[in-house]
Amino acid sequence: MFVSAPDRRLARDLDPAALAALAALAERTRPVAASRTRLLPVLPALAGLLPDGALRRGSTLTVGRPGDDGALSVALSLVAAASASGSWCALVGHPSLGAVAAADLGVDLGRLALLPRPGAAWAEATATVLGGVDLVVLCPPFVPRPAMVRRLVARARERRAVLIVVPDRAGWPEPPDLQLRVDGATWEGVDAGRGHLRRRRMTVAVTGRRSAARPVRQQLWLPAPDGTAVAAGGPPDPAA
Amino acid sequence: MDRLLVVRCPELLEEDEGGAVLRAFVGVIAAVGAYCPWVTPVRAGICSLPARGPARYFGGEDALAGLVRAATEEVTPAEVGIADGLFAAVLAARRDRIVPAGGTPAFLAPLPVATLGQDDLTGLLDRLGIRTLGGFAALPDPHVLGRFGADGAHAHRVAGGRSGELADLRRPRVAHLLADGVDGGSTVVEPGFWGGTNDADARAARCLAAAQELLGPDGVVTARLQGGRSPAERARFVTWTAGEPPQDGHPGTVRAAGSGAPWPGRIPAPSPAVVHPDPVRADLADVLGVPVRVSARGLLTTVPDRLSVEGGPWEPLSGWAGPWPSDERWWSRSRRRGARLQAVTVRGAHLLLVERGRWWVEATYG
Repeated sequence: MFVSAPDRRLARDLDPAALAALAALAERTRPVAASRTRLLPVLPALAGLLPDGALRRGSTLTVGRPGDDGALSVALSLVAAASASGSWCALVGHPSLGAVAAADLGVDLGRLALLPRPGAAWAEATATVLGGVDLVVLCPPFVPRPAMVRRLVARARERRAVLIVVPDRAGWPEPPDLQLRVDGATWEGVDAGRGHLRRRRMTVAVTGRRSAARPVRQQLWLPAPDGTAVAAGGPPDPAA
Repeated sequence: MDRLLVVRCPELLEEDEGGAVLRAFVGVIAAVGAYCPWVTPVRAGICSLPARGPARYFGGEDALAGLVRAATEEVTPAEVGIADGLFAAVLAARRDRIVPAGGTPAFLAPLPVATLGQDDLTGLLDRLGIRTLGGFAALPDPHVLGRFGADGAHAHRVAGGRSGELADLRRPRVAHLLADGVDGGSTVVEPGFWGGTNDADARAARCLAAAQELLGPDGVVTARLQGGRSPAERARFVTWTAGEPPQDGHPGTVRAAGSGAPWPGRIPAPSPAVVHPDPVRADLADVLGVPVRVSARGLLTTVPDRLSVEGGPWEPLSGWAGPWPSDERWWSRSRRRGARLQAVTVRGAHLLLVERGRWWVEATYG
């Protein structure tokens, strides 16, 4: 906290209203994107899935397995809150981003750099952008070699960036810090010819290492009718 | 690929110890900068600028090339060329040529393979009896990747005029030298161009500029929203440019004029997360396997039941909605009539477009 040891007594003597005003002031004067903070914010709907309720700098996540419907949407929604609060993001290796959907999820397109077709230089390009942006979403265009992957993971850790991998068919040979899966997604709103796609209900399951070893599942509307990500049903429940 | 104008100064290609060459080159950049602020030094003696905008303003590419040449020749002898992509544009400059839009593959085709400057590749191709860039470009993609590896595959794309430039064409050191300002007057990457000027912004600017040196100018882009009907029309991707004002970093300003206006025929929200830059072929059939069509009145001829993407296996539809007729540019000869349909299978939901009886996957709700 911002109160140093000799001031604790003073803090105790102050009346609660003054303390509350102080706390509000501290909140207001806090830098929008303090580069030293250990965590990057996520949308409230996703906070329950992550061990700290946020993305830990220097960590690597994978999102989805081959054939998972909605993996890209999950990856974009992980980036949304951080980009909106001033963090720089990059999307590497995805040639067909739906920019409107990304903006609707809350991604600040002005702070999202796209490297749609890095080709054979994808690993080098990813290492380069990891040096200067806070979050990198990587869709490896080719099957990554383990040595390459270890180098990228180490680079993310060293530069205190978050690496979010959407492996799709290429796969990812290293166990990440957190592994997100999409367990079943169903669309609502269309019938035989009537209506239009309104929202998708999906279950996201997270497993991880160390403090995140206990698997967690969460029901999400992703996208909700307005294109955002909203928690569906009750609080996240530990999987049986 | 961008249309690029390249200025090549034959007398400034070799750096000297005293820095006189670089100083003269900074003078060239300043002179060329009068016609377009986004001049990029490629290496000593060679700089490029996007040709499209300035050509429109100065009355055509010939006129622009003439003006730039005249401005440069007040400093040093110059060769000026215009083509698609940096590799072809540099070659065009050496020949003082303006390659017409779309003519780059034909321009490159008769040139010797050695032009690529990759000795191993040249030797290998020579033994295969392939002597020209056109001959190299005619090899099928998968074979090239298998035989020549990733570098060869990239050179192959460059030889065919499908990719902008070779990785080692640029000399980043020169760009940095100039950025540090030999004599001021620098037009190169200024950190903090995208909104604020804090440390994080400067770091991001530097690493994105480095990524651009690696992948070429078109390798790093940003998305801008705009008005439109289809998901593809509602966003455009612009080459990330040092110096171009950002969207100020405020999410609100990213939405350009028109994006909030009503667009009849637009598919209701939410929007698809994947928009295919080139629509993917699809087939849509009813329960008996009869292809689904849309009548002149915008009605489906039969009930959709299954979908096949790019000739893949048939997948049953769990739901569908539409059609939404789209009649674009009805006032002109390039009028396009079609309809859109949302189709849901177990693998995901797609936005389909039908035009002249053929179905395409335009976007996927990935």
